[in-house]
Amino acid sequence: MDKSKRQFLQGSGAMIAGISLYVLTNGEVAGEQQKSAVKYAMLHDENKCIGCNACADNCRKVNQVPEGVARLEIIRTGPFGEYPNQYYHFTRKSCEQCEDSPCVHVCPTGAAFKDENTGIVSVNSWKCVGCQYCIAACPYHIRFINPVTKAADKCDFCRETQLKQGKQPACVEACPTKALVFGDLNDPNSEIVKALEENPVYRNKRDLGTHPKLFRIQAKQGGINV
Amino acid sequence: MSPFHFEHLVWHWPIAFYLFFAGVSGGAMFFAVLLKNFILRGDAYKSGFVQAACIVAPITVMAGLGILVTDLTKPLHFWKIMVFYNLTSVMSVGVIILCIYMVFMFLWIALVFRPVIDEWCRTRFPWVLKLSAFLSSSEATITGLLVILALALGAYTGFLLSALPGYPMLKNPVLPILFLLSALSSGAAASLLGGVLMKGNPDGREVHLIHKIEIPLILVEMVAIFTFFLGLVLTGGQAKVAAANALGFGFWGVVFWVGILLVGLSVPLAMNLFMTATAKRRFAYVAGTATCSLIGVILLRHFILYAGQMTIA
Ligand code: SF4
Ligand code: SF4
Ligand code: SF4
Repeated sequence: MDKSKRQFLQGSGAMIAGISLYVLTNGEVAGEQQKSAVKYAMLHDENKCIGCNACADNCRKVNQVPEGVARLEIIRTGPFGEYPNQYYHFTRKSCEQCEDSPCVHVCPTGAAFKDENTGIVSVNSWKCVGCQYCIAACPYHIRFINPVTKAADKCDFCRETQLKQGKQPACVEACPTKALVFGDLNDPNSEIVKALEENPVYRNKRDLGTHPKLFRIQAKQGGINV
Repeated sequence: MSPFHFEHLVWHWPIAFYLFFAGVSGGAMFFAVLLKNFILRGDAYKSGFVQAACIVAPITVMAGLGILVTDLTKPLHFWKIMVFYNLTSVMSVGVIILCIYMVFMFLWIALVFRPVIDEWCRTRFPWVLKLSAFLSSSEATITGLLVILALALGAYTGFLLSALPGYPMLKNPVLPILFLLSALSSGAAASLLGGVLMKGNPDGREVHLIHKIEIPLILVEMVAIFTFFLGLVLTGGQAKVAAANALGFGFWGVVFWVGILLVGLSVPLAMNLFMTATAKRRFAYVAGTATCSLIGVILLRHFILYAGQMTIA
Protein backbone atom coordinates (compact mmCIF):
# COMPACT_ATOMS: atom_id res chain seq x y z
CA MET A 1 0.00 0.00 0.00
CA ASP A 2 1.40 3.39 -0.81
CA LYS A 3 2.26 6.00 1.78
CA SER A 4 -0.66 8.41 1.50
CA LYS A 5 -3.25 5.66 1.71
CA ARG A 6 -1.55 4.20 4.74
CA GLN A 7 -1.53 7.58 6.48
CA PHE A 8 -5.22 7.91 5.83
CA LEU A 9 -6.05 4.55 7.35
CA GLN A 10 -3.76 5.13 10.31
CA GLY A 11 -5.57 8.39 11.02
CA SER A 12 -8.94 6.68 11.00
CA GLY A 13 -7.70 3.94 13.29
CA ALA A 14 -6.23 6.40 15.79
CA MET A 15 -9.55 8.25 15.93
CA ILE A 16 -11.47 5.12 16.86
CA ALA A 17 -8.92 4.22 19.54
CA GLY A 18 -9.05 7.77 20.89
CA ILE A 19 -12.83 7.79 21.22
CA SER A 20 -12.95 4.42 22.94
CA LEU A 21 -10.35 5.59 25.41
CA TYR A 22 -12.24 8.81 26.11
CA VAL A 23 -15.49 6.96 26.72
CA LEU A 24 -13.81 4.39 28.96
CA THR A 25 -12.03 6.89 31.19
CA ASN A 26 -15.09 9.10 31.48
CA GLY A 27 -17.22 6.14 32.47
CA GLU A 28 -14.94 5.69 35.46
CA VAL A 29 -14.99 9.32 36.48
CA ALA A 30 -18.76 9.36 36.28
CA GLY A 31 -19.11 6.33 38.55
CA GLU A 32 -17.24 7.87 41.46
CA GLN A 33 -18.98 9.01 44.59
CA GLN A 34 -17.64 11.97 46.37
CA LYS A 35 -16.48 11.85 49.98
CA SER A 36 -17.17 15.20 51.53
CA ALA A 37 -17.04 16.24 55.17
CA VAL A 38 -20.71 17.12 55.14
CA LYS A 39 -23.28 15.52 52.86
CA TYR A 40 -26.57 17.33 52.91
CA ALA A 41 -29.82 15.58 52.08
CA MET A 42 -33.54 16.18 52.44
CA LEU A 43 -36.52 14.05 53.32
CA HIS A 44 -40.10 14.80 52.31
CA ASP A 45 -42.75 12.95 54.31
CA GLU A 46 -45.64 12.68 51.88
CA ASN A 47 -47.92 11.49 54.69
CA LYS A 48 -47.49 14.74 56.54
CA CYS A 49 -47.65 16.99 53.48
CA ILE A 50 -51.00 18.78 53.14
CA GLY A 51 -50.19 20.51 49.84
CA CYS A 52 -50.38 24.04 51.27
CA ASN A 53 -47.53 25.33 49.08
CA ALA A 54 -45.99 27.27 51.96
CA CYS A 55 -42.61 25.74 51.08
CA ALA A 56 -42.76 26.76 47.44
CA ASP A 57 -43.92 30.28 48.31
CA ASN A 58 -41.16 30.80 50.86
CA CYS A 59 -38.56 29.39 48.46
CA ARG A 60 -39.62 31.93 45.85
CA LYS A 61 -39.43 34.77 48.35
CA VAL A 62 -36.12 33.90 49.99
CA ASN A 63 -34.26 32.90 46.83
CA GLN A 64 -35.84 35.63 44.71
CA VAL A 65 -37.12 33.20 42.09
CA PRO A 66 -38.93 35.13 39.32
CA GLU A 67 -42.54 34.39 38.38
CA GLY A 68 -43.02 31.83 35.65
CA VAL A 69 -40.24 29.53 36.87
CA ALA A 70 -39.83 27.61 40.13
CA ARG A 71 -37.17 25.83 42.12
CA LEU A 72 -39.82 23.89 43.97
CA GLU A 73 -43.31 22.74 43.04
CA ILE A 74 -45.76 20.57 44.94
CA ILE A 75 -47.37 18.17 42.48
CA ARG A 76 -50.91 17.05 43.37
CA THR A 77 -52.38 13.75 42.20
CA GLY A 78 -55.86 12.45 42.84
CA PRO A 79 -58.47 12.63 44.13
CA PHE A 80 -58.39 9.06 45.36
CA GLY A 81 -61.16 7.25 47.24
CA GLU A 82 -64.92 7.73 47.39
CA TYR A 83 -66.77 10.87 48.37
CA PRO A 84 -66.80 12.06 51.19
CA ASN A 85 -63.50 10.35 52.06
CA GLN A 86 -61.56 11.72 49.16
CA TYR A 87 -57.92 12.68 49.45
CA TYR A 88 -55.00 13.84 47.35
CA HIS A 89 -51.36 12.91 47.20
CA PHE A 90 -48.61 15.49 47.18
CA THR A 91 -45.06 15.07 46.02
CA ARG A 92 -42.17 17.42 45.76
CA LYS A 93 -40.66 18.42 42.41
CA SER A 94 -37.24 19.97 42.88
CA CYS A 95 -33.59 19.12 42.36
CA GLU A 96 -32.87 15.62 43.65
CA GLN A 97 -29.29 16.59 44.53
CA CYS A 98 -27.81 13.62 42.70
CA GLU A 99 -24.51 12.29 44.02
CA ASP A 100 -23.62 11.30 40.46
CA SER A 101 -25.14 14.27 38.73
CA PRO A 102 -25.66 14.26 34.96
CA CYS A 103 -25.99 18.06 34.97
CA VAL A 104 -22.46 18.40 36.37
CA HIS A 105 -20.97 15.90 33.92
CA VAL A 106 -22.35 17.62 30.81
CA CYS A 107 -21.79 21.28 31.69
CA PRO A 108 -19.11 22.59 29.31
CA THR A 109 -17.88 25.36 31.60
CA GLY A 110 -18.17 23.78 35.01
CA ALA A 111 -20.94 26.24 35.90
CA ALA A 112 -23.01 23.29 37.09
CA PHE A 113 -20.89 21.97 39.94
CA LYS A 114 -20.98 19.93 43.11
CA ASP A 115 -19.64 21.66 46.19
CA GLU A 116 -16.78 19.60 47.60
CA ASN A 117 -17.50 20.44 51.22
CA THR A 118 -21.24 19.89 51.38
CA GLY A 119 -22.08 17.67 48.41
CA ILE A 120 -24.61 20.26 47.24
CA VAL A 121 -25.13 20.46 43.48
CA SER A 122 -25.31 24.11 42.55
CA VAL A 123 -24.92 26.59 39.68
CA ASN A 124 -22.34 29.31 39.27
CA SER A 125 -24.50 31.70 37.29
CA TRP A 126 -21.56 33.82 36.20
CA LYS A 127 -19.83 30.87 34.52
CA CYS A 128 -23.04 29.63 32.90
CA VAL A 129 -23.36 30.44 29.19
CA GLY A 130 -26.91 29.16 28.88
CA CYS A 131 -26.28 26.24 26.53
CA GLN A 132 -29.08 24.31 28.25
CA TYR A 133 -27.16 21.07 28.04
CA CYS A 134 -27.73 20.49 31.76
CA ILE A 135 -31.45 21.13 31.37
CA ALA A 136 -31.60 18.41 28.73
CA ALA A 137 -29.37 16.10 30.78
CA CYS A 138 -31.25 16.27 34.09
CA PRO A 139 -33.41 13.15 34.15
CA TYR A 140 -35.77 14.80 36.65
CA HIS A 141 -36.43 17.78 34.36
CA ILE A 142 -36.27 20.33 37.13
CA ARG A 143 -33.68 22.79 35.80
CA PHE A 144 -34.70 25.99 34.08
CA ILE A 145 -33.23 29.19 32.70
CA ASN A 146 -33.71 32.03 35.14
CA PRO A 147 -35.29 34.83 33.07
CA VAL A 148 -33.44 37.48 35.06
CA THR A 149 -29.90 36.08 35.18
CA LYS A 150 -30.26 34.08 31.90
CA ALA A 151 -28.34 31.31 33.66
CA ALA A 152 -29.47 27.79 34.54
CA ASP A 153 -31.11 27.69 37.95
CA LYS A 154 -32.53 25.15 40.40
CA CYS A 155 -32.79 24.24 44.08
CA ASP A 156 -29.40 24.47 45.76
CA PHE A 157 -30.60 23.61 49.29
CA CYS A 158 -30.55 27.38 49.88
CA ARG A 159 -26.75 27.28 49.77
CA GLU A 160 -26.47 30.96 48.85
CA THR A 161 -29.18 32.23 51.18
CA GLN A 162 -30.34 30.40 54.31
CA LEU A 163 -27.35 28.09 54.81
CA LYS A 164 -24.95 31.04 54.63
CA GLN A 165 -26.78 32.53 57.60
CA GLY A 166 -26.69 29.24 59.48
CA LYS A 167 -30.41 28.64 59.02
CA GLN A 168 -32.43 25.72 57.67
CA PRO A 169 -33.57 25.89 54.02
CA ALA A 170 -36.52 28.17 53.39
CA CYS A 171 -38.91 25.39 52.45
CA VAL A 172 -38.08 23.43 55.60
CA GLU A 173 -38.62 26.48 57.80
CA ALA A 174 -41.94 27.28 56.19
CA CYS A 175 -43.55 23.85 56.41
CA PRO A 176 -46.41 23.95 58.98
CA THR A 177 -46.58 20.16 59.41
CA LYS A 178 -42.82 19.51 59.62
CA ALA A 179 -43.01 17.31 56.56
CA LEU A 180 -39.51 18.36 55.49
CA VAL A 181 -36.31 17.30 57.23
CA PHE A 182 -32.91 18.61 56.17
CA GLY A 183 -29.52 17.58 57.47
CA ASP A 184 -26.12 15.94 57.17
CA LEU A 185 -26.00 12.26 56.16
CA ASN A 186 -22.49 11.95 57.60
CA ASP A 187 -23.66 12.91 61.09
CA PRO A 188 -25.16 9.83 62.77
CA ASN A 189 -26.98 11.98 65.33
CA SER A 190 -28.67 14.25 62.83
CA GLU A 191 -32.44 14.38 62.62
CA ILE A 192 -32.42 13.25 59.00
CA VAL A 193 -30.28 10.14 59.65
CA LYS A 194 -32.66 9.13 62.44
CA ALA A 195 -35.71 9.73 60.26
CA LEU A 196 -34.16 7.73 57.42
CA GLU A 197 -33.40 4.85 59.77
CA GLU A 198 -36.92 4.76 61.18
CA ASN A 199 -38.95 5.03 57.98
CA PRO A 200 -39.21 3.17 54.72
CA VAL A 201 -38.21 5.69 52.12
CA TYR A 202 -38.00 5.82 48.35
CA ARG A 203 -36.17 7.91 45.79
CA ASN A 204 -37.06 8.72 42.20
CA LYS A 205 -35.55 6.95 39.18
CA ARG A 206 -32.82 5.19 41.15
CA ASP A 207 -32.26 2.86 38.22
CA LEU A 208 -30.57 5.69 36.33
CA GLY A 209 -27.64 5.53 38.75
CA THR A 210 -27.88 9.17 39.77
CA HIS A 211 -27.95 8.43 43.54
CA PRO A 212 -30.41 11.19 44.45
CA LYS A 213 -30.25 12.69 47.96
CA LEU A 214 -33.88 13.73 48.08
CA PHE A 215 -35.62 10.99 50.04
CA ARG A 216 -39.37 10.54 50.27
CA ILE A 217 -41.73 8.74 52.60
CA GLN A 218 -44.58 7.36 50.53
CA ALA A 219 -48.12 8.33 51.47
CA LYS A 220 -49.97 5.32 52.85
CA GLN A 221 -53.11 5.19 50.79
CA GLY A 222 -53.19 5.56 47.06
CA GLY A 223 -54.80 4.52 43.87
CA ILE A 224 -53.92 1.17 42.44
CA ASN A 225 -51.92 1.71 39.33
CA VAL A 226 -50.21 -1.10 37.50
CA MET B 1 -49.11 17.05 21.01
CA SER B 2 -47.57 19.25 18.32
CA PRO B 3 -44.43 17.84 16.69
CA PHE B 4 -42.35 20.93 17.46
CA HIS B 5 -43.68 21.86 20.89
CA PHE B 6 -44.18 19.44 23.71
CA GLU B 7 -43.40 18.98 27.38
CA HIS B 8 -39.76 18.22 28.23
CA LEU B 9 -38.55 19.56 24.88
CA VAL B 10 -35.33 21.40 25.65
CA TRP B 11 -33.33 21.50 22.45
CA HIS B 12 -35.00 22.87 19.33
CA TRP B 13 -34.21 22.83 15.61
CA PRO B 14 -31.13 25.10 15.76
CA ILE B 15 -29.34 22.24 17.50
CA ALA B 16 -30.41 19.87 14.71
CA PHE B 17 -28.85 22.21 12.15
CA TYR B 18 -25.74 22.55 14.29
CA LEU B 19 -25.38 18.77 14.35
CA PHE B 20 -26.02 18.63 10.61
CA PHE B 21 -23.51 21.34 9.70
CA ALA B 22 -20.74 19.97 11.89
CA GLY B 23 -21.28 16.57 10.29
CA VAL B 24 -21.28 17.89 6.71
CA SER B 25 -18.04 19.73 7.34
CA GLY B 26 -16.26 16.72 8.82
CA GLY B 27 -17.62 14.44 6.11
CA ALA B 28 -16.65 16.78 3.28
CA MET B 29 -13.08 17.06 4.58
CA PHE B 30 -12.88 13.29 4.98
CA PHE B 31 -13.81 12.74 1.35
CA ALA B 32 -11.59 15.56 0.15
CA VAL B 33 -8.59 13.91 1.81
CA LEU B 34 -9.67 10.60 0.38
CA LEU B 35 -9.88 12.00 -3.15
CA LYS B 36 -6.54 13.72 -2.87
CA ASN B 37 -4.60 10.86 -1.31
CA PHE B 38 -6.11 8.02 -3.32
CA ILE B 39 -6.50 9.40 -6.83
CA LEU B 40 -5.82 13.08 -7.44
CA ARG B 41 -2.55 13.77 -5.56
CA GLY B 42 -0.98 17.07 -6.59
CA ASP B 43 -3.75 17.85 -9.05
CA ALA B 44 -6.42 17.88 -6.36
CA TYR B 45 -6.88 21.63 -6.57
CA LYS B 46 -8.07 21.32 -10.18
CA SER B 47 -10.96 19.02 -9.26
CA GLY B 48 -14.38 20.65 -8.89
CA PHE B 49 -15.23 18.13 -6.19
CA VAL B 50 -12.24 18.92 -4.03
CA GLN B 51 -12.87 22.63 -4.59
CA ALA B 52 -16.48 22.17 -3.53
CA ALA B 53 -15.47 20.28 -0.38
CA CYS B 54 -12.94 22.99 0.47
CA ILE B 55 -15.67 25.63 0.20
CA VAL B 56 -18.43 23.66 1.89
CA ALA B 57 -16.39 22.49 4.89
CA PRO B 58 -15.34 25.91 6.26
CA ILE B 59 -18.74 27.49 5.60
CA THR B 60 -20.71 24.73 7.29
CA VAL B 61 -18.46 24.40 10.32
CA MET B 62 -18.55 28.14 10.93
CA ALA B 63 -22.30 28.25 10.34
CA GLY B 64 -22.68 25.43 12.87
CA LEU B 65 -20.57 27.21 15.45
CA GLY B 66 -22.52 30.42 14.78
CA ILE B 67 -25.80 28.62 15.40
CA LEU B 68 -24.47 27.11 18.61
CA VAL B 69 -23.39 30.52 19.88
CA THR B 70 -26.57 32.39 18.97
CA ASP B 71 -28.65 29.64 20.54
CA LEU B 72 -27.06 30.25 23.98
CA THR B 73 -29.08 32.35 26.39
CA LYS B 74 -25.90 34.38 26.92
CA PRO B 75 -24.22 34.42 23.48
CA LEU B 76 -21.70 37.10 24.47
CA HIS B 77 -20.35 34.81 27.17
CA PHE B 78 -19.36 32.16 24.65
CA TRP B 79 -15.67 32.64 25.40
CA LYS B 80 -16.25 31.02 28.78
CA ILE B 81 -16.68 27.67 27.04
CA MET B 82 -13.15 28.04 25.69
CA VAL B 83 -11.64 29.21 28.96
CA PHE B 84 -13.35 26.93 31.49
CA TYR B 85 -13.45 23.56 29.88
CA ASN B 86 -14.76 20.42 31.54
CA LEU B 87 -13.42 17.16 30.19
CA THR B 88 -16.42 15.10 31.32
CA SER B 89 -18.65 17.28 29.14
CA VAL B 90 -19.09 16.07 25.59
CA MET B 91 -19.96 19.61 24.55
CA SER B 92 -16.76 20.98 26.00
CA VAL B 93 -14.62 18.31 24.35
CA GLY B 94 -16.56 18.87 21.13
CA VAL B 95 -15.86 22.58 21.10
CA ILE B 96 -12.16 21.87 21.63
CA ILE B 97 -12.22 19.38 18.75
CA LEU B 98 -14.11 21.86 16.59
CA CYS B 99 -11.55 24.60 17.15
CA ILE B 100 -8.52 22.40 16.48
CA TYR B 101 -10.32 20.91 13.51
CA MET B 102 -10.78 24.36 12.00
CA VAL B 103 -7.06 25.08 12.26
CA PHE B 104 -6.09 21.87 10.49
CA MET B 105 -8.86 22.25 7.96
CA PHE B 106 -7.49 25.63 6.86
CA LEU B 107 -3.91 24.36 6.86
CA TRP B 108 -4.86 21.40 4.70
CA ILE B 109 -6.89 23.55 2.29
CA ALA B 110 -3.91 25.88 1.99
CA LEU B 111 -1.72 22.87 1.14
CA VAL B 112 -4.13 21.64 -1.53
CA PHE B 113 -4.15 25.03 -3.20
CA ARG B 114 -0.43 25.53 -2.67
CA PRO B 115 0.39 25.71 -6.40
CA VAL B 116 -2.19 28.48 -6.85
CA ILE B 117 -1.16 30.33 -3.73
CA ASP B 118 2.54 30.05 -4.51
CA GLU B 119 1.98 31.31 -8.02
CA TRP B 120 0.02 34.31 -6.84
CA CYS B 121 2.45 35.21 -4.08
CA ARG B 122 5.70 34.62 -5.95
CA THR B 123 6.21 38.24 -6.92
CA ARG B 124 3.90 39.90 -4.42
CA PHE B 125 4.71 38.21 -1.08
CA PRO B 126 7.74 36.00 -1.59
CA TRP B 127 7.91 35.14 2.12
CA VAL B 128 4.68 33.15 1.79
CA LEU B 129 6.55 30.60 -0.28
CA LYS B 130 8.84 29.79 2.63
CA LEU B 131 5.83 29.33 4.85
CA SER B 132 4.08 27.03 2.40
CA ALA B 133 7.24 25.01 1.90
CA PHE B 134 7.45 24.55 5.64
CA LEU B 135 3.78 23.48 5.82
CA SER B 136 4.35 21.14 2.95
CA SER B 137 7.07 19.34 4.87
CA SER B 138 4.55 18.38 7.54
CA GLU B 139 1.81 17.48 5.11
CA ALA B 140 1.54 13.90 6.37
CA THR B 141 0.98 15.03 9.95
CA ILE B 142 -1.55 17.66 8.97
CA THR B 143 -3.48 15.21 6.81
CA GLY B 144 -3.46 12.51 9.48
CA LEU B 145 -4.66 14.87 12.18
CA LEU B 146 -7.32 16.32 9.90
CA VAL B 147 -8.76 12.87 9.24
CA ILE B 148 -8.83 12.09 12.95
CA LEU B 149 -10.46 15.41 13.77
CA ALA B 150 -13.00 15.18 10.93
CA LEU B 151 -14.14 11.74 12.06
CA ALA B 152 -14.18 12.87 15.70
CA LEU B 153 -16.37 15.81 14.74
CA GLY B 154 -18.85 13.52 13.03
CA ALA B 155 -18.99 11.15 15.99
CA TYR B 156 -19.12 14.01 18.49
CA THR B 157 -22.51 15.16 17.21
CA GLY B 158 -23.87 11.75 18.23
CA PHE B 159 -22.08 11.61 21.58
CA LEU B 160 -23.55 15.02 22.40
CA LEU B 161 -27.05 13.55 22.44
CA SER B 162 -26.17 10.13 23.82
CA ALA B 163 -24.97 11.78 27.05
CA LEU B 164 -28.55 12.62 28.06
CA PRO B 165 -29.76 9.98 30.53
CA GLY B 166 -33.24 11.50 30.79
CA TYR B 167 -34.21 10.45 27.26
CA PRO B 168 -34.05 6.68 26.68
CA MET B 169 -34.01 6.98 22.90
CA LEU B 170 -31.00 9.29 22.92
CA LYS B 171 -29.02 7.46 25.58
CA ASN B 172 -28.13 4.87 23.00
CA PRO B 173 -24.64 3.59 22.19
CA VAL B 174 -25.47 3.20 18.50
CA LEU B 175 -26.28 6.89 18.10
CA PRO B 176 -22.68 8.16 17.68
CA ILE B 177 -22.00 5.49 15.05
CA LEU B 178 -25.21 6.32 13.22
CA PHE B 179 -24.42 10.03 13.27
CA LEU B 180 -20.84 9.44 12.13
CA LEU B 181 -22.03 7.35 9.18
CA SER B 182 -24.65 9.86 8.17
CA ALA B 183 -22.17 12.72 8.63
CA LEU B 184 -19.88 10.96 6.15
CA SER B 185 -22.67 10.47 3.64
CA SER B 186 -23.77 14.07 3.97
CA GLY B 187 -20.18 15.19 3.41
CA ALA B 188 -19.95 12.99 0.32
CA ALA B 189 -23.29 14.30 -0.95
CA ALA B 190 -22.31 17.92 -0.37
CA SER B 191 -19.02 17.42 -2.24
CA LEU B 192 -20.76 15.69 -5.13
CA LEU B 193 -23.50 18.29 -5.40
CA GLY B 194 -21.07 21.18 -5.09
CA GLY B 195 -18.65 19.45 -7.45
CA VAL B 196 -21.07 19.02 -10.33
CA LEU B 197 -22.38 22.55 -9.77
CA MET B 198 -18.79 23.77 -10.08
CA LYS B 199 -18.46 22.07 -13.46
CA GLY B 200 -16.85 18.91 -12.15
CA ASN B 201 -17.27 15.98 -14.54
CA PRO B 202 -20.27 13.90 -13.36
CA ASP B 203 -18.57 10.83 -14.82
CA GLY B 204 -15.15 11.68 -13.38
CA ARG B 205 -12.88 9.48 -11.30
CA GLU B 206 -13.91 11.36 -8.17
CA VAL B 207 -17.57 10.43 -8.61
CA HIS B 208 -16.64 6.81 -9.26
CA LEU B 209 -14.64 6.61 -6.05
CA ILE B 210 -17.26 8.34 -3.90
CA HIS B 211 -20.05 6.17 -5.27
CA LYS B 212 -18.01 3.06 -4.59
CA ILE B 213 -17.82 4.09 -0.92
CA GLU B 214 -21.36 5.41 -0.68
CA ILE B 215 -23.07 2.13 -1.48
CA PRO B 216 -21.62 0.19 1.47
CA LEU B 217 -21.95 3.34 3.59
CA ILE B 218 -25.71 3.51 3.02
CA LEU B 219 -26.08 -0.20 3.70
CA VAL B 220 -24.19 0.05 6.98
CA GLU B 221 -26.26 3.12 7.87
CA MET B 222 -29.43 1.10 7.39
CA VAL B 223 -28.05 -1.65 9.60
CA ALA B 224 -27.16 0.96 12.23
CA ILE B 225 -30.71 2.37 12.17
CA PHE B 226 -32.10 -1.13 12.49
CA THR B 227 -29.76 -1.90 15.42
CA PHE B 228 -30.64 1.43 16.99
CA PHE B 229 -34.36 0.68 17.15
CA LEU B 230 -34.10 -3.04 17.76
CA GLY B 231 -31.85 -2.20 20.72
CA LEU B 232 -34.54 0.11 22.09
CA VAL B 233 -37.27 -2.50 21.69
CA LEU B 234 -35.20 -5.23 23.34
CA THR B 235 -34.24 -2.94 26.22
CA GLY B 236 -37.94 -2.67 26.99
CA GLY B 237 -39.55 -0.23 29.39
CA GLN B 238 -39.43 3.41 28.40
CA ALA B 239 -36.90 2.66 25.64
CA LYS B 240 -39.50 0.50 23.93
CA VAL B 241 -42.14 3.18 24.41
CA ALA B 242 -39.74 5.69 22.88
CA ALA B 243 -39.24 3.51 19.80
CA ALA B 244 -43.00 3.09 19.40
CA ASN B 245 -43.61 6.84 19.80
CA ALA B 246 -40.95 7.69 17.26
CA LEU B 247 -41.82 5.17 14.56
CA GLY B 248 -45.61 5.23 14.96
CA PHE B 249 -48.15 7.04 12.85
CA GLY B 250 -47.34 10.53 14.10
CA PHE B 251 -45.60 13.34 12.27
CA TRP B 252 -42.14 12.06 13.13
CA GLY B 253 -43.07 8.54 12.09
CA VAL B 254 -43.85 9.84 8.60
CA VAL B 255 -40.61 11.80 8.56
CA PHE B 256 -38.75 8.61 9.40
CA TRP B 257 -40.39 6.22 6.95
CA VAL B 258 -40.80 8.57 4.00
CA GLY B 259 -38.17 11.24 4.52
CA ILE B 260 -35.30 9.20 5.94
CA LEU B 261 -35.74 5.59 4.89
CA LEU B 262 -37.24 6.23 1.44
CA VAL B 263 -35.90 9.59 0.20
CA GLY B 264 -32.72 9.74 2.25
CA LEU B 265 -31.48 6.16 2.01
CA SER B 266 -33.38 3.91 -0.42
CA VAL B 267 -33.53 6.33 -3.34
CA PRO B 268 -29.81 7.21 -3.17
CA LEU B 269 -28.94 3.53 -2.77
CA ALA B 270 -30.99 2.58 -5.82
CA MET B 271 -29.60 5.47 -7.84
CA ASN B 272 -26.02 4.65 -6.88
CA LEU B 273 -26.50 1.02 -7.85
CA PHE B 274 -28.14 2.08 -11.10
CA MET B 275 -25.36 4.50 -11.96
CA THR B 276 -22.70 1.94 -11.14
CA ALA B 277 -24.40 -0.81 -13.14
CA THR B 278 -25.19 1.23 -16.24
CA ALA B 279 -22.17 3.52 -15.99
CA LYS B 280 -24.54 6.36 -16.84
CA ARG B 281 -23.57 9.31 -14.73
CA ARG B 282 -25.20 12.53 -15.75
CA PHE B 283 -25.37 15.86 -14.01
CA ALA B 284 -29.02 15.37 -13.08
CA TYR B 285 -28.50 11.88 -11.65
CA VAL B 286 -25.53 12.83 -9.51
CA ALA B 287 -27.06 16.10 -8.32
CA GLY B 288 -30.47 14.53 -7.65
CA THR B 289 -29.01 11.64 -5.67
CA ALA B 290 -26.85 13.94 -3.59
CA THR B 291 -29.81 16.22 -2.86
CA CYS B 292 -31.84 13.25 -1.64
CA SER B 293 -29.01 12.18 0.68
CA LEU B 294 -28.67 15.68 2.10
CA ILE B 295 -32.41 15.97 2.73
CA GLY B 296 -32.31 12.58 4.41
CA VAL B 297 -29.51 13.61 6.76
CA ILE B 298 -31.16 16.94 7.69
CA LEU B 299 -34.36 15.04 8.46
CA LEU B 300 -32.49 12.39 10.44
CA ARG B 301 -30.97 15.05 12.71
CA HIS B 302 -34.37 16.62 13.33
CA PHE B 303 -36.07 13.29 13.77
CA ILE B 304 -33.58 12.00 16.33
CA LEU B 305 -33.54 15.30 18.21
CA TYR B 306 -37.30 15.79 18.44
CA ALA B 307 -38.50 12.20 18.60
CA GLY B 308 -35.72 11.53 21.11
CA GLN B 309 -37.04 14.15 23.48
CA MET B 310 -40.66 13.00 23.21
CA THR B 311 -40.23 10.11 25.61
CA ILE B 312 -38.61 10.49 29.02
CA ALA B 313 -37.07 7.91 31.32
S1 SF4 C 1 -31.83 16.43 39.89
FE1 SF4 C 1 -31.11 17.26 37.96
S2 SF4 C 1 -30.29 19.24 38.49
FE2 SF4 C 1 -30.46 18.11 40.40
S3 SF4 C 1 -28.43 17.16 40.67
FE3 SF4 C 1 -29.73 15.68 39.62
S4 SF4 C 1 -29.30 16.02 37.47
FE4 SF4 C 1 -28.57 17.83 38.55
S1 SF4 D 1 -26.79 25.99 30.80
FE1 SF4 D 1 -25.14 26.78 32.10
S2 SF4 D 1 -25.04 25.36 33.84
FE2 SF4 D 1 -26.19 24.37 32.22
S3 SF4 D 1 -24.71 23.15 31.09
FE3 SF4 D 1 -24.87 25.11 30.01
S4 SF4 D 1 -23.27 26.38 30.93
FE4 SF4 D 1 -23.57 24.65 32.32
S1 SF4 E 1 -33.93 23.97 49.76
FE1 SF4 E 1 -34.10 26.18 49.34
S2 SF4 E 1 -33.87 26.31 47.13
FE2 SF4 E 1 -34.34 24.19 47.57
S3 SF4 E 1 -36.57 24.04 47.39
FE3 SF4 E 1 -36.12 24.44 49.55
S4 SF4 E 1 -36.26 26.63 49.73
FE4 SF4 E 1 -36.07 26.21 47.54
